[in-house]
Amino acid sequence: MADILDILDIEQPGASEITRESIIHGDKAKKKYVTTKAVRRPEGMHREVFALLYNDNKDLPPLLPTDTGKAYKQTKARLGMRKVRKWVWAPFTNPARKDNAVFHHWKRVTDEAKEYPFAQFNKQVSIPSYSESEYNQYLKSEDWSQAESDHLMDLCQRFDLRFIVIHDRWDRAAFRDRSVEDLKERYYNICAILSKVKTNPWSNTVTMVNGEKRVYHYDAEHERKRKEQLKRLFDRTQEQIDEEQMLLAELKKIEARKRERERKTQDLQKLISRADSGNGVANSQASIANDGPNTPTSAVSNIARRHDRKLHKKKLTSQQRPIRAVEAVTVEWSGIKFPEARGTGVWLRSQRMKLPPGVGQRKTKAIEQELRLMNIDIAPTPTEAICKHFNELRSDLALALDLKNALASCEFELQALRHQYEALNPGKTLNIPASICNSTADGEAKPVGEIIDVVGSPSALNSTI
Amino acid sequence: MSLPTDFGPDSGGRIKGLVIVKPIVYGNVARYFGKKREEDGHTHQWSVYVKPYSNEDMSAYVKKIHFKLHESYANPNRIVTKPPYELTETGWGEFEIVIKIYFHDPNERPVTLYHILKLFQSPVSEGTPPVGRALVSESYEEIVFQEPTQLMQHLLNSVKPITNGQWMHDTNFEDKKEKTLERIILAQGKVQNEISELKEKLQLAKDTITKFKEEIAKAQNNLGFGCNSKVYQ
Repeated sequence: MADILDILDIEQPGASEITRESIIHGDKAKKKYVTTKAVRRPEGMHREVFALLYNDNKDLPPLLPTDTGKAYKQTKARLGMRKVRKWVWAPFTNPARKDNAVFHHWKRVTDEAKEYPFAQFNKQVSIPSYSESEYNQYLKSEDWSQAESDHLMDLCQRFDLRFIVIHDRWDRAAFRDRSVEDLKERYYNICAILSKVKTNPWSNTVTMVNGEKRVYHYDAEHERKRKEQLKRLFDRTQEQIDEEQMLLAELKKIEARKRERERKTQDLQKLISRADSGNGVANSQASIANDGPNTPTSAVSNIARRHDRKLHKKKLTSQQRPIRAVEAVTVEWSGIKFPEARGTGVWLRSQRMKLPPGVGQRKTKAIEQELRLMNIDIAPTPTEAICKHFNELRSDLALALDLKNALASCEFELQALRHQYEALNPGKTLNIPASICNSTADGEAKPVGEIIDVVGSPSALNSTI
Repeated sequence: MSLPTDFGPDSGGRIKGLVIVKPIVYGNVARYFGKKREEDGHTHQWSVYVKPYSNEDMSAYVKKIHFKLHESYANPNRIVTKPPYELTETGWGEFEIVIKIYFHDPNERPVTLYHILKLFQSPVSEGTPPVGRALVSESYEEIVFQEPTQLMQHLLNSVKPITNGQWMHDTNFEDKKEKTLERIILAQGKVQNEISELKEKLQLAKDTITKFKEEIAKAQNNLGFGCNSKVYQ
């Protein structure tokens, strides 16, 4: 409001100015400031600066704090006005103790009547009891005599089911040594039997046992195994720990390799589908012969592949796929297809040598590498003849690269099949023709680990073979 | 500019089956000052150019050539309307110059060339040794007029040879063309041999795979059905 008035250069009434005073004192402040608002802002001074200088009246700000009002002050807290309550040094007895011992402590005079408050924490465990006839009827055991059972129940009562202590205080002179699990098993067994038998809540202990219908079943065997396991874990030597770490790392590596291989298989699958899609156009100029008889088989393999793709999720059949992939690639893929010359207009000859966008970066790099090896400029002088031959050369190079890859997959497959055969027929093996292996020896040989790994996985053997 | 004949708004239509090729050379020469110039730090004087491969006056069909320099130059878009289509500047760095050639016929779209301005001799000499102290980096290109308009054909055919001062190319492109083609054809033969070899190998590999599979199937039959998953424990 004040801003707008200021912008429009309208003299504003002092009453509209809001200050703390005006809020607190209401109407009283208004009159006080009406007269002070006479000064106009000098020409050229910014409104904000002016507002800082002359907010209330023209006086300079005071040197000392002048705010003496009580607006922010709280009423004083009144402390220590009453007399303190009396404390006395008094004797007390603890009802939890049976010996009636008397101790002293400080306590309030007003608390005199109360009994010792910590006595309530002295909880007693209810241990079931049995008569001799009950024992003879229900609790007889091959392993435990009555005396021994009595001793156990007694110790349970004395040490509140702290079985480690019970085990420690076990009368080894009278009875044979028993493990903590044995003691626990016997005790909970007795409890379970008694809770079933004694439906009548005639004593404190039985009520407790019978009150809950669920009977605690102690699995001694499981406990023993658990402790044994923990003990073994604890007893490992440093060498064993190191070995375990090493094996875990190995496992991780194997899994990573497995994933990598699956990814490669998928890449190959993509290549096939691309070759498939280009098949219709490329068929006529496919450099590989016997196109005619191949068409029906490729249709069949198409269906099979689709079927495969579904199964692929289960990973079990993933081994099966590369074989088919290889066949498809060699039949249907044929180098690079450069776009036909455009109809009309002006163009540059060198534009004809651009690789079509369908050729991936990896393949482009590989082709350039091959060209460099043959000492051919990757952007040669563009004449019509050079363009034509250069494009043909690169198309051939692409085909050669694909064939090499296919051959590598074939060899990989052969290795896997051989290992499979060796596993089926120990002692016998199959011979891979040497000429096939040569291709991978130079450059892109598969790491040995990969091949071993394939055979190791159970999916290498497939019922569809 | 007045045109000799009026062909109408469609430039007389396109002539079916006709292809006219105009070879050109484009590139730059660069000369080192010998030291860094004090006032602006420039080290080289260079000229970027487009010239006809054969001796002819390109202005008959080229309307203008647009050179787009690095943005750090004052008004980087330079237009040359008359031959020689050349631009001389000084600088200290190499960058890509976009060269756009416009034709007199508005129905023919302009073509764009890209040239990396070269000031420094690369460690591996590319067959263009500097003449004197000048460094030359130029490329051969062919402008292909596919089915040109009647107007364009008229312009292309009325090209006159250059009378004053012929272009001399620093690079022997005829020789280069010949050698490149030779090498490519040679490589083609080699690669094709390799391909047929690879195909044979692949065929062998596939046959072997089939054979292996048969062997495995036999071995499995011997072991009996249904136990195939237990072979590997």
